[in-house]
Amino acid sequence: MKKTITMTVNGQIMKAEVEPRTLLIDCLRDQLGLSGAKVGCVVGKCGACTIILNGLTVKSCMMFAVQADGAEIMTIEGLAGDGELHPMQQAFTDKSAVQCGFCTSGMVLTATQLAKDHPNASEEEIKDAIGGHICRCTGYVAIVDAIKEGCKRMSEQQG
Amino acid sequence: MAKKWVGTSIKRKEDASMLTGEATYVDDMQLPGMLHCAILRSDYAHANIKSIDVSEARKLPGVIDIITGEDVKEYPLAAAVEFAHFDLKSPVKQAYLLAVDRALYAGQPIAAVAAVDKYIAEDALDLIQVHYEPLTPVVSMEQALSEDAPLIYEEWGDNVQMQVPSKAGDVDAAFAEADRVIKVKIGEHRYCAFPLEGRAAIADYKPRTGKLHTWISSQASSAPRANFAKTLKIPEQNVSVTVPHVGGAFGTKLNWSVETIPCLLSKRTGRPVKYVENKIETFTIGPHARDYVFNGEVACKNDGTILGVKADVMFDLGIESSYRGTAIAKCVILLKTFLGQYKIKNYSFLSRAIVTNKAFQCSYRAFGKEQGSRFIERIMNIVARELGISPEEIRLKNYIQPEEFPYRTTSGALYDSGDYPGTLKRVLEMADIPSLRKEQARLEEEGRYLMGIGIASFVQPSGSAVPDGYLNGMEGATLKLLPEGGFILSTAHCTLGQGIETTLSQVVADEFTVTPEDVRVIIGDSDKAPYSSGGFASRGAAWVVGAAVTVSRKLKEKVLRFGAHVLKVEADEVELKDGKIQVKRDPAKSVSLHELATSVHFWPGAIGVLPDEFLYTDPSLDATAYWTAPNPPVSWAAPINLYCTHPNGAEVSTILIDKETGKITVPKRFVVYDCGTLINPDIVKHQYIGGALQGINGILNEELCYDENGQLTTTTYMDYLIPGSHEMLGETVFEHQETPSPFTPLGCKGMGEAGTFCSVSSVMNAVEDALGITITKTPLKPQTVLDYVKEAMEKGTLNRRREW
Ligand code: FES
Ligand code: FES
Repeated sequence: MKKTITMTVNGQIMKAEVEPRTLLIDCLRDQLGLSGAKVGCVVGKCGACTIILNGLTVKSCMMFAVQADGAEIMTIEGLAGDGELHPMQQAFTDKSAVQCGFCTSGMVLTATQLAKDHPNASEEEIKDAIGGHICRCTGYVAIVDAIKEGCKRMSEQQG
Repeated sequence: MAKKWVGTSIKRKEDASMLTGEATYVDDMQLPGMLHCAILRSDYAHANIKSIDVSEARKLPGVIDIITGEDVKEYPLAAAVEFAHFDLKSPVKQAYLLAVDRALYAGQPIAAVAAVDKYIAEDALDLIQVHYEPLTPVVSMEQALSEDAPLIYEEWGDNVQMQVPSKAGDVDAAFAEADRVIKVKIGEHRYCAFPLEGRAAIADYKPRTGKLHTWISSQASSAPRANFAKTLKIPEQNVSVTVPHVGGAFGTKLNWSVETIPCLLSKRTGRPVKYVENKIETFTIGPHARDYVFNGEVACKNDGTILGVKADVMFDLGIESSYRGTAIAKCVILLKTFLGQYKIKNYSFLSRAIVTNKAFQCSYRAFGKEQGSRFIERIMNIVARELGISPEEIRLKNYIQPEEFPYRTTSGALYDSGDYPGTLKRVLEMADIPSLRKEQARLEEEGRYLMGIGIASFVQPSGSAVPDGYLNGMEGATLKLLPEGGFILSTAHCTLGQGIETTLSQVVADEFTVTPEDVRVIIGDSDKAPYSSGGFASRGAAWVVGAAVTVSRKLKEKVLRFGAHVLKVEADEVELKDGKIQVKRDPAKSVSLHELATSVHFWPGAIGVLPDEFLYTDPSLDATAYWTAPNPPVSWAAPINLYCTHPNGAEVSTILIDKETGKITVPKRFVVYDCGTLINPDIVKHQYIGGALQGINGILNEELCYDENGQLTTTTYMDYLIPGSHEMLGETVFEHQETPSPFTPLGCKGMGEAGTFCSVSSVMNAVEDALGITITKTPLKPQTVLDYVKEAMEKGTLNRRREW
């Protein structure tokens, strides 16, 4: 039995018809066409499906779509401004933190959230923040560097 | 040619699309009317399949088709490895997409469903009834070789898929002449890459035209085209393979048997079918890697000169490996590459591939050569320790010297270039061993941690040119100069995270004195680009760059001819500079590439843009060219060379063992790496560092465990420790060296697999440095480490004098 849900996604109001058991990640990707969040493990261990829901980073494979009814969601598609990368995205490319790109959208969203909450995050705090993400390519070194740099740039931007 | 972009760490062109969610991976695609496939896997490691009842599953609304072993009998798999000219034929007569009559490992696909959504497809699996008759599984190599072992492939008479002896020089004489003979036993457990994006495929078969288009997450696009065509009996010209962005591969996406399942379902239903494996399937279906043991003996002189090596190596392949993975070839590659950087004249080797009831094997950074490298590098340290000389001295004594290149090893490998002693000396200088030793003594004093310092070096055979079968070497590219002056380079090579859109555009930009932004690179389409063997064996910098340079030079010759004609001079009087063709002695006389391209496309003849000899034969600004390695191998029996380039490097790793918990950490590493001419140094460095974590975490924390029933007990990220940020390695001090290869157009050497070679050897050597005993058991999980610490304490080796 399908249920209609309404969410604000990247600033736009969107409706979707979902089964009660439809995962939020599947609703976003398959129904709303927002495929930037990736399906890595579907058991909450890899972070590839990370989105921001009501101001918190959430693994969207761990929620049913119906639970997001009425929620405000940001996916990676909503982060960059027109024609310009967000400072955290820019830091990722500047610090060579992207290889295959499959973990990237999740990492970047978690990183922007960290920067908001802890603009001066230490290396240990950064590692903790991305502790729920898996990157199989980079060895994390460049990612940690990028997040450090991105935090700096974001706080500078806010002045 | 002046290098402007080659050698510069420009930022990657592909990043913006990946950072914004724009990059497309297979699972991001949807086709109208698309069905979803789910696969039922065997519950048993070894069982006769008495019957499969799909009637209930068929009744489930939304289920469109179900296939079982019965349905695949008419589609025997095309072998992934065919070494027809060599005596390496697989003794397996036939293999299929799904188990036919007998399941050979727990996790083997036995039935597949196509349904309107993936949830329904999964539901349907629960409704399929399989009646198994369990058989005794073979779960270890010892068991496989025992007298009364069940036979996995009865027709063979034993459980050995391949047995290859290899010999050079006079081993008996070497052993007779030796001062010492030292025994070594090393091995590795079973583990693999498990990229974040698993297997993914969409198949779209059009029944009216008989055309099949597939989108797959793969390391090659040309080779699977033939594979799908042969298995499904569709003419190859009617099969298209597109490989969009790939979320990591590392050697594991070179077998397409499972991807053929959605293809068959699409052929049967006439609708597009998507299959994206879940993580349990990633672990259970395979491929896996490593899982081998070496038993060796080394004949040496007291001064450290290695006179000869004898070894017996056994691989636990899992089930046969010619139709699904390509792992049997590892046995041969290892024989040809294990000599590393050393002048060892005499050896005798026996390499055996044993089958068991486990998932099949494939490559994983790398393909047997990393095992050979680890073997020889461990030998160097073990022998040095036995002889009481330093690991540095033993290497320097046996290294091939810089003036000896190109160097033909006794196994036939042809090394291009390098400075092995220079690389080692440099890394030792960077690491400052005396100060590390002080730190080690300080920590020993303190008591909680044991520190180890390990050195290792390596040669990394890359850019394979393995004769025959799909690993054969041939790489093409097409380059077009467009009317507005931009370039499009097309290659069927695949983008797996190596940054090739960036590096290839750097290469073309330099050839035409333009910028990388002027060059767009199209990747991974078997229809749009000439044949490409694919992205494996670190082929990119040798083969694909080779093709890009060759095609650039071919097109450039035309461009210069046309430009000279426009400028009314001879072709040898002009040159390319800053995107213009100009007269050498009078640079003010010039025509830009843009102007020329516009004229050639729109006014080729009438006002005489093109010289007559081109106007009616080849008026285009397109070119296609192929590159192949200059030293093709001829036969397995002769001393043959399997790789066209041989980068090298050396490392010092420091490790800490927590005596209380047994946890090993790697606080600091020093790396010097030489992959010839660098295109983008940062890309090289970061791929190396990523590979090093794969290697080191693999040896420390990852393990695929089968129980006595042949059930895989590590099937999720919960029980298989893929490294996370807390497993990150400490600081890596990284330095490049650049000894160009004489065998490739720009002097580049392929590097993608480099990170896993020496990282493992240097860490293992560091652990042995800390403990003073030989490590034979991996992974080095805490309990194992504690056992070794105890052994070292009992033997009193912890506070011994170290030789360097
Ligand atoms: S897909 Fe959600 S955490 Fe892995
Ligand atoms: S860049 Fe490939 S998984 Fe992180």
